[in-house]
Parts: sequence; structure tokens; C-alpha cells
Amino acid sequence: MPSFLKEFFNRNGTGMGLTILGLVLFWTIGLIILPQLSMLDFSFRPNLPPPEIGGPKDVYTLENYKYLIYGPEGGSQDYNTVDLRVFFRTLVAAVCVTIFNLILCYPIAYYLGQSKGSHIRIFAIMLIIPYWINEILRAFALRIIFGETGVLNTLFTGLGIWDTPFDFIRNDIALYAGLGYAYILLMIFPIYNVIESLDRNQIEAARDLGAPWWRIHWRVVIPYAKPGISSGCTMVFMLSAGALAAPQILGGPSSLWFTQLIYQQFNDNNDWPQGAAYAVVLLVTCILFVLAMMRLFKVNMGDIGK
Amino acid sequence: MNSSFLRISIWVYLAIFFAYLLGPLVIMSITAFNSSSFPRISPWECLTFQWFTELFHDQRILNGIKNSLIIGMGTVVLSVAMGLAGALMLTQIWPKLRATYYTIIIAPILIPGVVLGISTLVFWDRINRMLGLGADSVLSNGVFLTVIGQSTFIASYCMLVLVARLQRYDTALTEAALDLGATHAQAFRKILLPFMRPAIASAAVLAFLASFENYNTTTFTFGEYPTLTIELAQKVRYGITPAISALAFIIVALTVFFALLNEAKLRRQELVAAARRNATVQDLGGKIRLPGFFAGNMAAVLLVVFAVATITVVGTATVYSPDQCIANVKEQKRLEAERRIQELRKQREEQRKQREAQEAEQGGATQSAPKPSNNSGFGGVFAPGALGGGTDAEPEAEEPPKGNGGFGNVFDPNSLSGDQ
Amino acid sequence: MSAGIGVDLENLWIRFGDFVAVRDANVHINGGDFFSFLGPSGCGKTTILRAVSGFLEPSEGNVLIGGKNMKGIGPNKRPTALIFQNLALFPLMKVWENITFSMEIKGASAAERRKRADELLDMIALPGQGDKLPSELSGGQRQRVAIARALCAKPDVLLLDEPLSALDLKLRQHMRTELREIQQRVGITFIYITHDQGEALTMSDNIAVMRAGVIDQIADGKTIYNDPATAFAASFVGENNVFRGKAKRVMGDEALIATNRSGELVARISTANRGKLAEGDDAMMFIRPEAFSVAPEGASGDHFVTARVTHEEFEGNVFNIFTEGDGGKEIKVSIPNHGQSFKDHTGQNITLEYDTRNAVVVPAGELAAE
Repeated sequence: MPSFLKEFFNRNGTGMGLTILGLVLFWTIGLIILPQLSMLDFSFRPNLPPPEIGGPKDVYTLENYKYLIYGPEGGSQDYNTVDLRVFFRTLVAAVCVTIFNLILCYPIAYYLGQSKGSHIRIFAIMLIIPYWINEILRAFALRIIFGETGVLNTLFTGLGIWDTPFDFIRNDIALYAGLGYAYILLMIFPIYNVIESLDRNQIEAARDLGAPWWRIHWRVVIPYAKPGISSGCTMVFMLSAGALAAPQILGGPSSLWFTQLIYQQFNDNNDWPQGAAYAVVLLVTCILFVLAMMRLFKVNMGDIGK
Repeated sequence: MNSSFLRISIWVYLAIFFAYLLGPLVIMSITAFNSSSFPRISPWECLTFQWFTELFHDQRILNGIKNSLIIGMGTVVLSVAMGLAGALMLTQIWPKLRATYYTIIIAPILIPGVVLGISTLVFWDRINRMLGLGADSVLSNGVFLTVIGQSTFIASYCMLVLVARLQRYDTALTEAALDLGATHAQAFRKILLPFMRPAIASAAVLAFLASFENYNTTTFTFGEYPTLTIELAQKVRYGITPAISALAFIIVALTVFFALLNEAKLRRQELVAAARRNATVQDLGGKIRLPGFFAGNMAAVLLVVFAVATITVVGTATVYSPDQCIANVKEQKRLEAERRIQELRKQREEQRKQREAQEAEQGGATQSAPKPSNNSGFGGVFAPGALGGGTDAEPEAEEPPKGNGGFGNVFDPNSLSGDQ
Repeated sequence: MSAGIGVDLENLWIRFGDFVAVRDANVHINGGDFFSFLGPSGCGKTTILRAVSGFLEPSEGNVLIGGKNMKGIGPNKRPTALIFQNLALFPLMKVWENITFSMEIKGASAAERRKRADELLDMIALPGQGDKLPSELSGGQRQRVAIARALCAKPDVLLLDEPLSALDLKLRQHMRTELREIQQRVGITFIYITHDQGEALTMSDNIAVMRAGVIDQIADGKTIYNDPATAFAASFVGENNVFRGKAKRVMGDEALIATNRSGELVARISTANRGKLAEGDDAMMFIRPEAFSVAPEGASGDHFVTARVTHEEFEGNVFNIFTEGDGGKEIKVSIPNHGQSFKDHTGQNITLEYDTRNAVVVPAGELAAE
């Protein structure tokens, strides 16, 4: 028995040690690692009816990945432009949502982190309450507002600013607003946590030295808050790229989200391997993108999730 | 002048921000009380509670709530247990493994929920096949899969909450208990667990809420057991009614209530602690009584206001009947519709005069009188086909509004207890 | 006091990876003794304590309690109770619950536990404080609660891991007496860990001096102070002046040391090293500050040291003279204050005299850090 395990059981006792170890192994291996590997494995297999699984036709193939790039065999186009476009649009939109959220949330996080007083707690409650409300209901609320006969259109047409209702949904404005809305808290909290620990004197000192407010932020606050910012951005990016509810409810009819394609493969086309392949592509691309960004902005993995 | 300008702009910014954050919820809540069959606040038709009645008679919603509760419990138990074990492991794992281990247990937070759902489905389907079990085994059961799938990432949240407190735990306490003769299990139960209790409670609440509102993972795993969120998504995608607003309103109200309750409790504890610091033990009993609950405790005041408002609303609901108003609106709508039909007829007359050849297209116009939306091409959004040719779920046939007579029962305790 | 249960360490080795925390420790602790492990931090004394209490398995060798080998017996099954450095009182339990925790896990009724708690609270002079939380007590009170909690488990051996280090000086001195009294009252074996030689000397029947995992000397306090076995023991316990050199001649119990700087001096060879120190060996000679006296001018011989005074200070009960010494270190001389007048010698040479019985020679070795 390796000394680490021996010490572990010494410290926790055999019964407790086994319980802890069992739960951790079940979680890490049974719930996290094996399912992901299983999905990866599945994505390299053809779509077979259940009796043929494990049979002679069940061989590894790149078919599912080729499909994303080249489309169905004998298709009219050289590339699967529809799906590829959806894929890149999803990534670009997720980046936009992340940037939008960062710009929106940084001032709030800074304000909450640096001010004192009881109203801050009220603000904190007001921030958290929307996140205790169902994701679907939040999207639904935006649908009421952005709908064709929704609040905004009624308001603007009523005021005579527009003569015909503006189609927020078809123009994806509702979708972006909804995605941004959904992950505000995930952006604010990491940044807030870091900024709260920033010594006010540093800002005072910078101000004392005559730095204008934007320079104080650029040179003092933002470098300090970098772990929080990267943590928030990573979460918002990953979650908006992987969002399903908001695009389904708020997305326009012509603009699909990549997760919706995955959903279709699973539920409508009943092509699990194809869906798994798409999921793998989404996961791997997102992770690579985040790692590249972290390299670019010189952030450590350990800072994420703090 | 610079600072006052800055202050004003901060407040404007805060106002816009919170309007963005809370406005949608407020508006959604208000639409629950408008008798218009499409959730909106303008034009305001009549104050009504009919959508609540409808909600409480919706079997699918009720069933969804039941499933959500069952799955929520399962997820809370599993993910708090795994999160605690994960946190304990994190504090004592071999240092060389720590970074890898941390990455693994934190990864589920960042993995898209869709991916988690798929991998769970695929993996357990394979296990099921390997064990030679049928399609109706426990391993392919929707509740099991959903609990497993959700716990994968909810346990990570729990772990983060728990490890924060665990880091402040002095392991000498466990050693002291062992030294005094306790078994490892006793030391865990009597020393570590009581210490972790506040964090476990937060983790459990967090886990339940996360499970309750999860959609992305659940949508792949629910099988025969659609949760409330799944049912809501189906409804919202294929036609929205104010009954959903009614549900939203209830959830918002409950949330606000518990948030205020929690805050009031925290404030009270703080005040007591502050008083303890200032006062000797003897006069503690006399000073911190009910008035202290309110003194300097905004949340407590709000809580009371909130409770009074709720009672008022419920009281109104039991006696209020919007029949007359609805009848008036109906009458108005009918008149409006007639007027439009007249106009259309007139138009048609004119058109006929101009071009007699075009007659065929006018047929549908009479149907769409109250809502012009069907003509705009925008209505396609709500059509199931547009959102991915969904054949799995039939579009919800909009239930005709229930009779107006049943309002009195909406807030009847019996009907409530049946739902929760 | 041989009624109590003794503890033996046999060839005890404890390693953490490549690091050796305890190297071949052999200790016999008499039943009913107040036994101290004295050494600087990081010397392995706490490791020994953890091995005795069962939190650590020795890499080699055995721990025997009352003659019984403790191998494979967990801390909860050993007849020991440990008082932690930070006391480790359970913060969420009241004082009486803390004290009687060992009864709770054996399933004793609340009434029984209360009764026992009251007895113990009386014993530690905290009557009526049972319903407080540990956080509401002062440092000294917490200290006593921790002792009561450990005693409640009726251990055969009480282990104390620097329990006084968190207290302020006054309280620490008071608690020394109190601990010693408690030990004598309950009559069980106490094993005490400390880096404070004052604590070790005042309380202990026997002391083990430790250095970097090695036990240098085991003896009673007087022996360790007057007759140290190693250079480390000599320099760690109490203040001491060191003179480095070579043993020029060994004459029975005494040796003539050719010091690097102060000429040839005679000193007693410490008991442990008699017969072992050979002529030509590197040696160290130690003379306590209070063993010197100022000699008349011009005196010389093999028990006189002449050196230039760098500075002097008046400490109240003693008058200190510092002179240039060996290897950059000063020689400190403490003259007891009897009301005599002191002459200022700063900058002058002074001749110091000592009694050869008060100078100790040991083989050259590692000195304790300042």
C-alpha cells in the first residue's frame, strides 16, 4: 500500500476512509472521467440499432466528425456550411456575450467590492434573487419583454418611436440579452471576491499620485482583479457556449445555437454517436479556446473557480 | 462637481443595471394578474387570479413539481455527500496529486451541461448493456440518470462551499476526539459534522436550487420523469400562457420571502453578537428581545411588510371576482373585432373594386382579429417546426381558460398542500 | 511514585520520506514521572509525542506503554490523553460537554457526566463555569479545561504538547506550579514537550534533551544543568560560555584544554564522557556566567581567563560583564549583587577566575542556535 493511502487510512480510520475514498472515486471516475471517455468513444462509432452494437459493424470510424465538416455523403455542397456556420456563430456569440457581461459587471463588482454600508447587502440580495428563479422562467420573462407584443414594443410604438413592432427575437437581440442576463452573477461574484480584498489604500495612493480614474483601474485594480476576471469570463464563456434553454426560448427561428444541433441529433434524429461527436467538438474547442485565452492573458488554471 | 457627477452616474448605472436584472421578473410577475390570454401588461385588461387556478389544475406542472422534488432530494443527498468527501480528500491528498485532482473535480462546473447530460446518458446506457439489463432497469431510469447527471457538477459547487469552511477546521479537534477514545466515525459525527453544519446547509440549499432549475443536463436524462423545468421549457417553447407567469410569481414570492427571512436572521445574529460584545451576560436577556429584531434590521421590516402584502393579496383573491370586468373586456374585444371586420370588409370592397382578381387570400383574416401576429410571419417562432423540427413533444394545445367560478379555491389550503 | 504506568521507546525511528524526524530513540520513562522532552522547534519531540499517542506509526522500533507494545493500536485505544498545543477544545460544545466528551462516547448519561464535570471543574478551580463556551473563557481557564478534559478520560499517561506556549509570561509561570501540583495529585505519568528549559527544569523529574531527531541526554534537571553530556545540551540548557580547543592532557576526571584563544585551562570532564575523551581530541569547555568571579589583577594559571571587556550592564540581581571571547562570541560573566560597588572595566583587560569543578569539558559538537 503506498504511504499516502496508509496515512490516509490512519487519519480517517478504515470505515470513514473507505467511505470517503469510495465517494470520491465514484464521483471522479464514475461520474466525471468515465462518462466523458465513454462519450468520446461513442463519438467514433457508427449509429447502429441496439442489437448490432458490439457486432461486426461496430467499428471505430471518423464518420461523425467528417459529417460536421463535409456534411452528408453525396450532399450538394462541399462543406457542411449550415452546421459549421452555427458552430462558429455560437463561439463568436459566446465571446460577445462574455465581453458584454464583463463590461456590464465590472463596474458593479467594483462598486460592491469597494463600498461599505448596509445597502450593499440589499444589493447583494437583489443580485442573488434572480438566480434562485428558474432558468426557463428567466428566459420566459425576457420573452415577455422582447416579444412582438411585449413590453418594449408596446412602449416604443406607443411613444411613437417606431411605427411597426421591432422583431427583437429574429434579430437575436433577445437571445444575447437573455444569455447575458443568465450569467451576470457568475461574472460579478469572482470579480467582487477579488476586488473586495484589494486594499483601498492602494487606490488612495494612486489617486494621491495624481492618476486619473481610468489609469487607476488600468494599472491597479484590473491587474489585481485578473484572477477574478478570468474566472468570471471562463465561466460565462463556457456556460453561454453550452447554453440550451435561452437559445431554445429566445432564439430566432433561423438562428440555431450549436447545442441545439446536438439536441436535435439526440432527440429528433436519434443519432447518438453523431450528437456525441458534436458534443466532443464543442467541449474540446471551448477548452482549447479558454486555455489559449489563459495563455494569452497569463492566467493560471488554479485561479479558476476560486 | 466632478465627484457629484460621478456619484450621479454611478446611481444611474446602478438603476439601469438593476432594472435589467429585476425588471423582467417584476413584469413577468405582473402579467400573472392580467386576464389577457397572452402574458403582457399592456393593454391591461382585468385583474384576475384565474391563471393561478389554471396552474393548480395543470397535471403536467404538478407532476413536474413532484418529479423535481424527488430528483432534488436525491441530488442534494448525493452531491453533498460527494462534495464533502471531495473536500475532505482535497485537504489531505498527496501534494503532488492535488493540482490534478482539483482540476478534475472543478471541471464539471465548466463542462457544458449538455455535454454532461449526453455523457451520463451514453455511459450508463453502456453499463446497462454490459450488465445485460433491459431498457426498464434502474440504470436507465430517468430519476436515477438525472440525479447522477446533475450531481456530477452540483457536487463541485457543494465541494467549493464546503472546502471554504473545511479550511478553517482545526484537524487537532478530530485528533483530540480520537485521543479521548472516540472512533473515527464518532469523531466525524460529533466534531466535524457539527462544525460543518452551516456550510452543509448552504450546500444543500444550493444543490437543491441548482437541481430544481437545471435544464441543460436534465433534458437528456429525464426519460419518463420530466421535471418542472422540463415541463416549463416545453410549455414556453410551444406557446406561452400567463399560467407560467403565475408559477413564476409564486417562485419569485417564495424566493424573496426566504431571502428576507435569511437576511433578517443573519442581521439578528449580528446584532446579538454585537450586543454580547458590549454588554455583560446578565443584561443580555433583557435587551435583545423582539424590538431588537427590528432595530436596525431593514430585512426584518421588509419581511413584515411582505407578509402583510401577501395576506392582503390572498385575502383579496378569495373574495375578488373579475367576471364583470372580463365580460366587459370580452364585449369590448368583440366590438373591436367587429369594427376590424367592418374595416376589413370595407378594405376588401375597395380592393375588389380595384382588382377583382384577388379574392382568395382574404379568408383567414377574420380569424386573426385580436392578434395581428399570425400575419407577420413572426408567429413562426412559436411553431414547433421552427425550433428544430421537434417531433418529440407535441405542441401544447392551449388549454381553454377554465370556468370563472373556481377562484375561491385557488388559495384554499387543501389545494396548496396537494401541490407542494 | 513508581505506582504509575511507565512508557518505553525502543529503537524508535520515524521517517517522513527521506527526512529522519527521530533517530533511534531509546527512552525509559518511569511510571508516575513528570518527564520532559526538551529541544528547539523541529527537533522531533512532537513527533515522538504523536508516536506515543498513536497518531503516527513509527517507521521502526516500538512504543511500549506499561510494558505493552502499542503497535497497531489506534490513538482511541491507547491509555494516553494528549493536551494539544492549541488545546483543541471543541468550540461548539460547552465546557462541561468538552470535559466529559470521553464519557459521552462511552454512552454515559447526561447526569453522570454533569456530576463528573462538576468534580473536575472544582479540581481545576473553575466551579460553576460548566455552561460557558470555550470561547468565553480566558487563556488560563481554557488551559485548565483542556487538562480536565484529558484527565476525565482517566489516562495512564498524560501527554502535553507545549501547552503553555500560548500564554503570557506571568500565567505561564503560574501554570508551571499548577501543572506540577496536578501531576502530583493524580499520580499518573506526564510526558511534557517543551522548548523552554525553564519549564522543563522546574517541573520535571527527568528530562530528555533532543537535537535534530537525536536524544542527547536523559537525566534529571540538575544533572543536565551541571553535568551536560554533549555540547548541545550544555549550550541549550541555560546560559553558557564556550571555549573551543583540544584536549592536551587527560588527568583522570579532569582535562587540560588548549583553548583557541584563552590559553590552557583545566576543567572537569563531564560524567558521560569520562574515559572517552582522549588526548588530542577536539573539545569544548563550558563555564556558566555565574561560575566566574573577578580575580585580582595579575593572577594567572590554568583556571584564569584574561580578556578585554566590551561592555557591562546592570540587571538588578546580577551585574553582567561581557568580554571578548572565542569565535566572535562574548564571554558573559554574572556577578551576584550583594550591594557591593562595581568598577567600570569597559575597554580594559580583566582576569576571571573559576573553580575547575564548575567548568565542564565535552567532545566538540554542534551548539544550540542562539
